[in-house]
Amino acid sequence: MVNVTIDDKQVTAPKTATIYEAAKLNGIKIPILCHDKKLKPFGACRMCLVEVEQMKGRQIPACTTPVTEGMIIRTSTPDIIKARKMVLELLLLNHPLDCPVCDKSGDCDLQNLTYEYKVNTNRFKDEKFHHSIDYNNPLIERDMNRCVLCGKCARICDEIVSFGALTFIDRGIETKIGCEFDDALNCEFCGSCVSVCPVGALLARPFKHKARFWALTKHTSVCGYCGTGCNLTLGVKDNKVLTTIYDENQGFHKGQLCVRGRFGYQFINSAQRLTSPLVRKNGKLMETSWDEALELVAGRLKTGTSVAALATPRLTNEELALFKTLLLENVGTKNFDHSAGFAHSALTEGFTRSFGESASSASILDIQKSDMLLVIKTDAYETHPVVGFEVNMAVKNKGVKLSIISDKRGKLSKLPDATTLVHRPGCEVAVLNAIAKTIIDEKLSVDTAMTVPGYAEIVTALSEFSAEAVAAQSGLTAADIKKLASEYATAEKALIVFPVGQGYAGHNADLASAAANLALLTGKYGKEGCGVLCLSEKNNSQGAVDMGFYAQDGGLNSLQILDACVSGAVKTLFIAGEDPLTSYPDRTKVKAALDAVEFLVVSELFLTETAAMADVVLPACSFAEKEGTFTSTDRRVQFIKPAIRKNAQTKTDFEIFSDLITRLGGQSVATPAEKFTEIAAHTPGYAGLSHITLRKEGAFATAATKPAFVVPNSTPSPAIENGKLALVTGSVLYHNGTLSQYGEGPMHVCPEGYLELSRMDASVYKIADNDLLTVSSAAGSMQLKAKVSSRMPAGVVFAPYHFSSAPINSIWTGSPVTMVTVAK
Amino acid sequence: MSDVVAQQDTEQEPEVDLSIADAVIDKYIDIPGNLMPVLQGVQEEYGYVPRVVADHVAERLNVYPSQIYGVLTFYAQFHLKPRGKFIIRVCVGTACHVQGATRIVETFFDKLHIGHAETTPDLRYTFEKVACLGACGMAPLAMVNDSTYGGMTVQKVDEIVADYNQRPLK
Repeated sequence: MVNVTIDDKQVTAPKTATIYEAAKLNGIKIPILCHDKKLKPFGACRMCLVEVEQMKGRQIPACTTPVTEGMIIRTSTPDIIKARKMVLELLLLNHPLDCPVCDKSGDCDLQNLTYEYKVNTNRFKDEKFHHSIDYNNPLIERDMNRCVLCGKCARICDEIVSFGALTFIDRGIETKIGCEFDDALNCEFCGSCVSVCPVGALLARPFKHKARFWALTKHTSVCGYCGTGCNLTLGVKDNKVLTTIYDENQGFHKGQLCVRGRFGYQFINSAQRLTSPLVRKNGKLMETSWDEALELVAGRLKTGTSVAALATPRLTNEELALFKTLLLENVGTKNFDHSAGFAHSALTEGFTRSFGESASSASILDIQKSDMLLVIKTDAYETHPVVGFEVNMAVKNKGVKLSIISDKRGKLSKLPDATTLVHRPGCEVAVLNAIAKTIIDEKLSVDTAMTVPGYAEIVTALSEFSAEAVAAQSGLTAADIKKLASEYATAEKALIVFPVGQGYAGHNADLASAAANLALLTGKYGKEGCGVLCLSEKNNSQGAVDMGFYAQDGGLNSLQILDACVSGAVKTLFIAGEDPLTSYPDRTKVKAALDAVEFLVVSELFLTETAAMADVVLPACSFAEKEGTFTSTDRRVQFIKPAIRKNAQTKTDFEIFSDLITRLGGQSVATPAEKFTEIAAHTPGYAGLSHITLRKEGAFATAATKPAFVVPNSTPSPAIENGKLALVTGSVLYHNGTLSQYGEGPMHVCPEGYLELSRMDASVYKIADNDLLTVSSAAGSMQLKAKVSSRMPAGVVFAPYHFSSAPINSIWTGSPVTMVTVAK
Repeated sequence: MSDVVAQQDTEQEPEVDLSIADAVIDKYIDIPGNLMPVLQGVQEEYGYVPRVVADHVAERLNVYPSQIYGVLTFYAQFHLKPRGKFIIRVCVGTACHVQGATRIVETFFDKLHIGHAETTPDLRYTFEKVACLGACGMAPLAMVNDSTYGGMTVQKVDEIVADYNQRPLK
């Protein structure tokens, strides 16, 4: 700590602080325009000028100057005020004063500073800029006439997003912010640049001219897409969510969001939302009353064991727990599951066996505290972009070493000094086993590893996974595998990260155990910056596991439930929010099951393909209309409250389940808060949590580890057949599950499914971008547009699974790798 | 990157042999801070920096394409359009100005039908006004590539243009 005097006040500040930070820490405000606490100091705008006595009264920028012992600083002398006024005059010289039609008005740093410093005249005269406005993309408008060249957009795109779409181009008075060769902006559309822009140069197009900033009510919430658990501020007017508002103090991610979180909110107020219960009469879904619909459902649920249920992990913890109560106690069935089963098996089977707890042994916060990250599949960026930002910052700012094992290259491979081992698809477990074997053989494991149960078995089981053998199988070199093994073992702190989800059938319990074995061998768990982090797919996937909403004690799992529908063992199927017809493997089988089941109830926001087949459809509520808690992938439990009033004709799933419990003669808890008290009492790790404590800030549910070595099954990857390509499925950056299909933002940018293939294969098959391809597998065939990219290795093709317009499950039956043929 | 933004119509660039760029990149690939020498090297080879080459350099050096464009537009030494075989530079510095450089410049404009920093369609000439060539004793001064022409007159402009018109383009 150093002692400094700011405006005659004696204060202390950390040695590393700048004058601006020292003043802020002590409640003294210095105006800024180009500075952002998330970015490196830049010093472009000169708004933060201060006087330092030791520097002979010269005016120096507070945001780039570090404090030194005994510094005497004045932040608002008449000279300083004059200088700042002139800075504003110079900025306003070229800035168009079109505030009445500018969406930034009211939230504009330049406007606020102009007001604060009373700059009502300008001593200078110059022409305004005449740059053309970039309207080429549907999400971000770039009006460079309003730009003040603070560089925040270019810096955030480089330092945090690591995409580098924007930069300073030209020189002197002609300098402007632009893309390469002055092209239209074409990027990931995360909108980070929009969020930090201090003026109206970068604006969100979906919000354009929708409302004045000051007319919006701000509601904090938690994003309803992926498992990262980003905090959101929703801008609401007239009971409609009109935009997301940036708050740099929100969440671990400091307000950073991805394209889905920032631009994907439109599903909340979509005109396609269901507004009335529907009942099938004479083969057609007809509007009906809640009473009739629920009475019908309750009547069917009384049949007991022939009932099964699937729920989406987008429901709150309270809803999932209540649904479980309804099924177990009032209906009397153990047949319930979520996410096609395999999407949660890494947690429920893998981690449960390896760590004794169905949760990751690390949090997202460990990423920046680690020394080495081992990422399995570059898709971790696409599935969890904000976690990806953490990886970017760890690698770029903290010098964390990044190694990737993947079946394709990706954005993470481009990070400085990142090594990507691209293996044949489907070999992840074998490669991890080879690393484990190398660690044992080269005596890189820690002594305590031998005391962990299962050590002897794992040593025997791994005997066939020599680096050489796996190298031959996976297409890697033995040297690469050994190098990675020694890097992982010798790093002081190392963290393994892998995504799971309905598109990643291979990321199952075996992969989790194989990854956990590495951590157990080298003692890299239970410490800061170490462990294995499983990135679960949906906003409450971890919560669904914590609530125990999956097949246990002999209950049927998702895929068995579908089989039982066909065989007639399950006669009533209650689907809450899932869309298995699009998102579960093997469309033919799912369709047959839903056709065969006698009675199908679906509670949904939209009339999905699955809902359209139902006998009763119950209109449910989105995350913005209900109260409850979500548990993020690293077990951060966060509270959400309604941001808007729900449509009177819809019910939250909590109300639906609660009503059904009453109709079945049981007694339900009245509110989500009461249910949560029950959850806290019975769920390991949730003790002591309550809605009241979580209202202010989320809290981590604790996890206790009981490590054990588990031998993972390594299914050999299918041999590449002549003339066939290996199809791997997964998620695309712009989408999450099937819900984002109803978000206009994501659909503007990525409206349909596609088949991504390598340049090599494209030239062999003479395929160009956007060619319509017929893709056939043993299960069937479908048409997809081609997308030629440089990241795919030859012989491997990738397709995202989110789209009901192009359901990839018509050719994919749930294996990690599917052999397909491609024809034009 | 998404497909949503339609590819903009870029001027048809002549086919570019990327192996030449690769040779330059290979020479500097392991040196930190290699972007400037690589860009200077490729400009030396191609005469300018074609867009495909800039994109190729971005991919090979793992630098954002936007950043490369930033560098290319910041420094006056880089050119993004094909340049003539003969670069004519006429000094308009103080000494040359006093000696009538303006008329020399205008005569070149008339003869070549191009303006400042422009290139003839046949890629024979590029014309540039420069502030000082550092040989004020020879004012008014012109240069064609590396040859210097002092004491320029309107007649001499004719002679120079006639001379260089004869020279082979390839």
